[in-house]
Amino acid sequence: MHEISYRGEIRLTRYLDESGAPLGDMPDWACGEQPWVHYYQQMVLARQFDTKAISLQRTGQLGTYASLLGAEAIDVVCASRMQTEDVLVPYYRNHAMQMIRGTPIARLLQYWGGDERGSSAPEMQHDLPNAVPIATQCLHACGVATALKLRQQHQAVLTVIGDGGTSKGDFMEALNVAGAWQLPVVFVINNNQWAISVPRSKQCIAPTLAQKALGAGIRGEQVDGNDAIALHDVVGQALERARAGKGPTLIEALSYRLSDHTTADDATRYRSADELKAAWARDPVARLRHWLHQQGHWDEAREQAWQAETKQLIEAAVADYLALPAQPVDDLYDHLYAECPPTLAVQREQARAKQARHEQGGSGHE
Amino acid sequence: MNDNAITLLEAVNLALARAMADDPDVVLLGEDIGTNGGVFRATAGLQERFGERRVIDTPLAETMIAGLSVGMATQGMRPVAEIQFMGFIFPAFEHLVAHAARMRARTRGRLSCPMVLRAPFGGGIHAPEHHSESTEALLAHIPGLRVVIPSSPARAYGLLLAAIRCDDPVIFLEPKRIYRASKTLIEDNGQALPLDTCFTLREGSDITLISWGAMISETLDAADRLAAEGVSCEVIDVATLNPIDHATLVASVSKTGRCVIIHEAPRHGGMGAEIAATLGEQARAALLAPPYRVTGHDTLMPYYRNEQLYLPDTDDIVTAVKATMEYVE
Amino acid sequence: MKYFKLPDLGEGLPEAEIVEWHVREGDTVEVDQILVAVETAKAIVEVPSPQAGVISHLFGAAGDTIHTGEPLVEFAGNEDADSGTVVGQLSRAESTDSQRESFIIGAAPSSKQAVGQRTTAAVRSLAQRLDVSLDTLHGSGPEGRVTVEDVEHAASLDQSVGAPEALKGVRKQMARTMAQAHAEVVPVTLCEDADIDHWPEGSDITLRLIQAIGAACEAVPELNVWFDGHQLARRHHQKIDLGVAVDTEQGLFVPVLRDIGNRPSADLRAGLDRLRTDVRARSIPPAEMQGATITLSNFGTLAGRYASPVVVPPQVAIVGAGVIRRQPIAVDNDVQVHKVMPLSLTFDHRAATGGEAARFMQALIQSLSA
Repeated sequence: MHEISYRGEIRLTRYLDESGAPLGDMPDWACGEQPWVHYYQQMVLARQFDTKAISLQRTGQLGTYASLLGAEAIDVVCASRMQTEDVLVPYYRNHAMQMIRGTPIARLLQYWGGDERGSSAPEMQHDLPNAVPIATQCLHACGVATALKLRQQHQAVLTVIGDGGTSKGDFMEALNVAGAWQLPVVFVINNNQWAISVPRSKQCIAPTLAQKALGAGIRGEQVDGNDAIALHDVVGQALERARAGKGPTLIEALSYRLSDHTTADDATRYRSADELKAAWARDPVARLRHWLHQQGHWDEAREQAWQAETKQLIEAAVADYLALPAQPVDDLYDHLYAECPPTLAVQREQARAKQARHEQGGSGHE
Repeated sequence: MNDNAITLLEAVNLALARAMADDPDVVLLGEDIGTNGGVFRATAGLQERFGERRVIDTPLAETMIAGLSVGMATQGMRPVAEIQFMGFIFPAFEHLVAHAARMRARTRGRLSCPMVLRAPFGGGIHAPEHHSESTEALLAHIPGLRVVIPSSPARAYGLLLAAIRCDDPVIFLEPKRIYRASKTLIEDNGQALPLDTCFTLREGSDITLISWGAMISETLDAADRLAAEGVSCEVIDVATLNPIDHATLVASVSKTGRCVIIHEAPRHGGMGAEIAATLGEQARAALLAPPYRVTGHDTLMPYYRNEQLYLPDTDDIVTAVKATMEYVE
Repeated sequence: MKYFKLPDLGEGLPEAEIVEWHVREGDTVEVDQILVAVETAKAIVEVPSPQAGVISHLFGAAGDTIHTGEPLVEFAGNEDADSGTVVGQLSRAESTDSQRESFIIGAAPSSKQAVGQRTTAAVRSLAQRLDVSLDTLHGSGPEGRVTVEDVEHAASLDQSVGAPEALKGVRKQMARTMAQAHAEVVPVTLCEDADIDHWPEGSDITLRLIQAIGAACEAVPELNVWFDGHQLARRHHQKIDLGVAVDTEQGLFVPVLRDIGNRPSADLRAGLDRLRTDVRARSIPPAEMQGATITLSNFGTLAGRYASPVVVPPQVAIVGAGVIRRQPIAVDNDVQVHKVMPLSLTFDHRAATGGEAARFMQALIQSLSA
């Protein structure tokens, strides 16, 4: 005889439709000016930054860069819902989150400009730096959360991962331990449908990625990742639960990667222009703008003014970045250990001599 | 059979196609290798030619890729898996070290593990962090694991074929900095080069230069410069880092009496140390100077702004050769 | 490139509306030719073509919105010269004349030779510094390898005694041959005198010696054989090919006078003269110095009475003739002074007996005394 040992469900939260019109009766908290205008402004800023970063890369002033085009709502809302004392454990596409949490834009550019000092900004506090090896950040987030819990601090950890990353063992191990230990961590999946060239459909056969939470016994839910209002609701509640000691949440934010994987990738090799065009119709920035216009909280004049202001802000940050002095080669040695072992003194001298030689242009190296 | 002037990367592609055409048990798996043809295009066109069943885009999981390869290999298939960058090979370590390296030994030959794991490695392409690793010593240290590194299109073609045909696991590390750096004429004749063998790229009499991977490029440049100054360099590409063909290195040093070993990887515990120690044991009487090493620093590979300070360059090699030539006991 | 994507129009807005296409699918366009006019929030912008080519597809129609980075136009034919990477930049080969690679599998031939060599680079370097010739050095190390001590010892010898002279040519061959003979042969020497007082004035001494040997070989053919010490076998000869030792400035030569038993005297004399001339002129071919079945060493023109000349394998006997001298001998019970030729015969006792040797000597004496 059979009985059902467990039945689960995954909730999907949306407030705005694809165009930005309400899906039903909107709650009062969604109808005011704030925080929605602020969100919109930050999303526009994020997009400006993104466009500029790509442009810098194309002109050889920035290294390979991972665009956040299409993920503005996820980044802005998650960062805004976090408190200062919460800890961010990003992957490699969360530049806007770092920006909103206080990292100067010039520092963000510094990281992508091949300079380790980009991850050293004091404004980053206890946040971890960008994570490149996929999904490793999820376990680190659990570690941070464990420290918070052991110290009885009532803060939350928020970490972000792509849809591809959810196939990795690190992700599954993180969910498991987060559940077993009831860690104060919020996992946000930026499901932008693509892991470089591998589509979501090839990554996992489960109908939702959120239901991987059920395997770990933690709460899992979906949200429209291009709907700032929905994100505000879902992420906010998850962070509150975590701070209150009520355990972890896995949030799958449904979105779309409107850009190439990185500036060195070419998505036209593997995805159709039609699909991309259709995705633009669900642009998170346009949708929020539409809602704000409807509610009378935003207009063309404010748009122009804001565009001008963000442009200036970004130009100033780029100027700062370009003016940054070169890193001395001693930094290679001084930051490897707390104190550089004397056995490396010879190599340090060789490195200094080499830097001097390069500066004199004597190496024949480009 | 066509004769093309092709790059190292295209030679990899050619060898893969050849191996797959010759043996239906050869199957490719990895991230972005199918539709996209690989992020460096190493597998371009192969899924179109051989189908999705044999060129598989996997979910994003390196442990899975390595583990699956072990399993497939034990059943007689010849999986050729791609790890997108050597910086992402670490999750695969467990399956390489704990399983691939010892499957034959612990079943006393009943099962074996004829898998190949390919990965681009090394720095110098202006990439973000983690994409410039040169940690071949970690793998070469493991008994049971072959580590093979080509340094030219012809050696890429011949050695990859050999690796795929080898009945034991091979880690095939492709130096990405020279993926497209030069083109040579390759005949697609299916001929493999021998594993476990060094290649003498240039015959010389005054000093032996020993290297592998992308540094072969700078080593040959250094040899050219030194030739103009009257120093005759013998250049040897080690190619297989485990097991190493010490006999060739000893023979060369027996003739020249001096050597410089060059590698991009950090100095401490790098494979240069293994070669220097063995030369000290087996060619002691021949050596006129201690074996000298030109290597990467014992620091992390810096982000790309300082990459060129870290990587050994031609000047570094020339300086080391001159110091070695001038050494008097 | 295959796809031309809408570039950043420099206004911070990612989208624009297509106002009007200036080209159609199938058109051939040039670089900078205007493809389309698009409208942003601020202005109408004309977008130029980045390359020459044939348009195979236009993305979107007038009125459609298009975003930065979206494909705008597809060019026919050429596949994207794509960056071929997902991070960083890979430098591409510039040279178009590419060649076949050439490299050696394993060690270079000169290196392979170096491995078995008697000397290492360190030893060679030392020898060079001390000005010692390695060619003349005997290696006392394992497998005959020359050691540092060998070099240093030679250097000190060179300083006190002078540098050694390496043997060449005939002297070198003689050293080798004699060493080999000494190693193999079991020599016994028999000495006797021949009374030649009665010989007419102007007798051809060498010729008489040759004829005497011919007679002795006929009497005792056992001494005209070749002996194989390994197989323990003898080859008997029908003819007598006599090796005649000739002393020159360059060294010892032993040309062969063929078939001495069957040739008239004049012929033998002429042959001998010819051999001597050719040897001195160094024009004698190697074949003329091979195949002797027995040898004569006439040192009688120089000095010496008896000797123990060396038997050179595969021969088993050699006759030595010393200086002819007037000396007292017994004739019946009287003492008279006669001309006497001292004779020595060395034989290889592995192949011949003392009796055979003695009878050979007897026949020699008899012929010479006639």
